[in-house]
Amino acid sequence: MSVLLFMINYFHRILEYTVNHFTLVLTVMILSMVLWFSVGVLISRYEMLAGAVLGLGNILFCIPSISLFGLFMTIPQLGLGRRSAVLALVLYAMMPLVRNVYRGIKSVDPRVVEAGQGMGLSSWQLLWQIQVPMAWPVIFAGIRITVVMITGIATVATFIGERNLGRLIHHGITRSNSDMILAGALIVSVVALCLDMLMGLLEKKLVSPGLRYQQRE
Amino acid sequence: MIELQEVTKTFPGSGTPAVKGVSLQVKSGEICALVGPSGCGKTTILRMINRLVEPSSGSLFIDDQDIMKVNPDHLRRGIGYVIQQIGLLPHRTVEENVALVPRLLKWPEGRIKERVEELLEKVGLDTDEVRKKYPYQLSGGQMQRIGVARALAVDPPVMLMDEPFGAVDPIVRLRLQDEFLKLQQSFKKTICFVTHDMNEAMKMGDKIAIMNGGFLVQHGTPREILAQPANSFVEDLVGEDRGVKLLDLVRVEALMLPREAGTANGRSVQALDSAKKALEVMLEHNVDGVTVCREKQVVGILTWETIKTYVHQAGSEAGG
Ligand SMILES: Nc1ncnc2c1ncn2[C@@H]1O[C@H](COP(=O)(O)OP(=O)(O)OP(=O)(O)O)[C@@H](O)[C@H]1O
Ligand SMILES: [Mg+2]
Repeated sequence: MSVLLFMINYFHRILEYTVNHFTLVLTVMILSMVLWFSVGVLISRYEMLAGAVLGLGNILFCIPSISLFGLFMTIPQLGLGRRSAVLALVLYAMMPLVRNVYRGIKSVDPRVVEAGQGMGLSSWQLLWQIQVPMAWPVIFAGIRITVVMITGIATVATFIGERNLGRLIHHGITRSNSDMILAGALIVSVVALCLDMLMGLLEKKLVSPGLRYQQRE
Repeated sequence: MIELQEVTKTFPGSGTPAVKGVSLQVKSGEICALVGPSGCGKTTILRMINRLVEPSSGSLFIDDQDIMKVNPDHLRRGIGYVIQQIGLLPHRTVEENVALVPRLLKWPEGRIKERVEELLEKVGLDTDEVRKKYPYQLSGGQMQRIGVARALAVDPPVMLMDEPFGAVDPIVRLRLQDEFLKLQQSFKKTICFVTHDMNEAMKMGDKIAIMNGGFLVQHGTPREILAQPANSFVEDLVGEDRGVKLLDLVRVEALMLPREAGTANGRSVQALDSAKKALEVMLEHNVDGVTVCREKQVVGILTWETIKTYVHQAGSEAGG
């Protein structure tokens, strides 16, 4: 109950943190989806790039987030604040997004692609009318993991000046204030859930009902 | 007309060719049934005709046009293609599937809508019931009908059908075959029809091309194949079907249509002869029927149609 009281007492502060957190993650997701979707599509068509690109994604993913934020902070053009935070988080999103776009496109039943080819679809038409639409379920699995993950890692951006929910947790730890930590953690989960639901809505719009059935099986 | 000249295909990394020096002509308006055991190269031949596979050597022509000189995408839009098993796009509705090629050819939407309705009706489906459905919501028979409707969408003169009725039970298959033959009577498409069922080949094919291990073993009318199998492989293939085998055993009198009048011409058989004998006589004289006599007395006639129907029925009763 004291957590609730804490939230009520610091409502304005918490609201500000929450909004910041939300907008940061949303910005990162929009940029990442556009960028990494394109890269994923690209490496599915230029197979020889796939190994290197996926490898790079894995390496980036393995760098501890706090050091990546710290590194970007020292670069003058980036500095403290949102730009560094966005860049670092977009890089984290690379691995799960690129991999799922690539895997999704590659896992489309080749017989269906060939059926389209046999009907006379050009290679771009095959991509946009068959491969991508049929890959959406796998791509969205990646997107939804990513959005939850990025919401969590975004808390660390508080160390480079982001005024977000990470700050509640950080301050809670330094002051041994469990209510503060709990409030931070709780709201982070709620933000993650909300963003996940948002992606769920987008998924529902994009994934054909003809495929949803297959997923259930 | 579809023409293959000495076509060979060796897939990369494979020692023996999948198709070996096949020459074949399918005349305009005819159905050529390609038949043979699994892996003998039937699908590969079809896929060379629409350039999903490039031949290693030899040439292919459609209406005297060398297909290697045609843009593959354009070539394919002009060929109806019905595919073994998976063919419909699972993420598209029935309507969208049928409209696929018309959309590629940028038909106006109004015309597409009309065409889709017309086609679904032609293949015996209730347009309002199926148009908004997705493939997973359809029965096997409905899917195959839609596969055919889609291939017919832009009214292509040439069609390639790869076991189009393969994935349905025998009763539905018979229906689909009958309906398709009825359509073909007015459409007169030039068709390559792949099957591994000799009965189906007999029924659907104006000509039958029998393949084995990449070679074209025999090419001829169903009658020629039945009466004069080129070698023991064809004999076995034909003989596997009870109906065909029975031709040797069944008497002409059992199949003939009784008829009192008429005179015996040179093309007659005895009532106690085997049906196979009657077939040989028809072939020899190039006629569609023979008179049946008991001694000198005309007792009936036996036509090719009757034999064909008999072979087919006996064959499907055997569970084919
Ligand atoms: N893309 C490919 N790459 C390598 N080998 C292939 C390829 N496609 C077919 N083959 C081989 O070529 C041979 C002929 O195959 P094809 O698909 O034409 O047989 P089929 O007569 O259609 O058989 P089925 O009745 O089983 O469909 C087979 O041995 C097959 O393994
Ligand atoms: Mg095949």
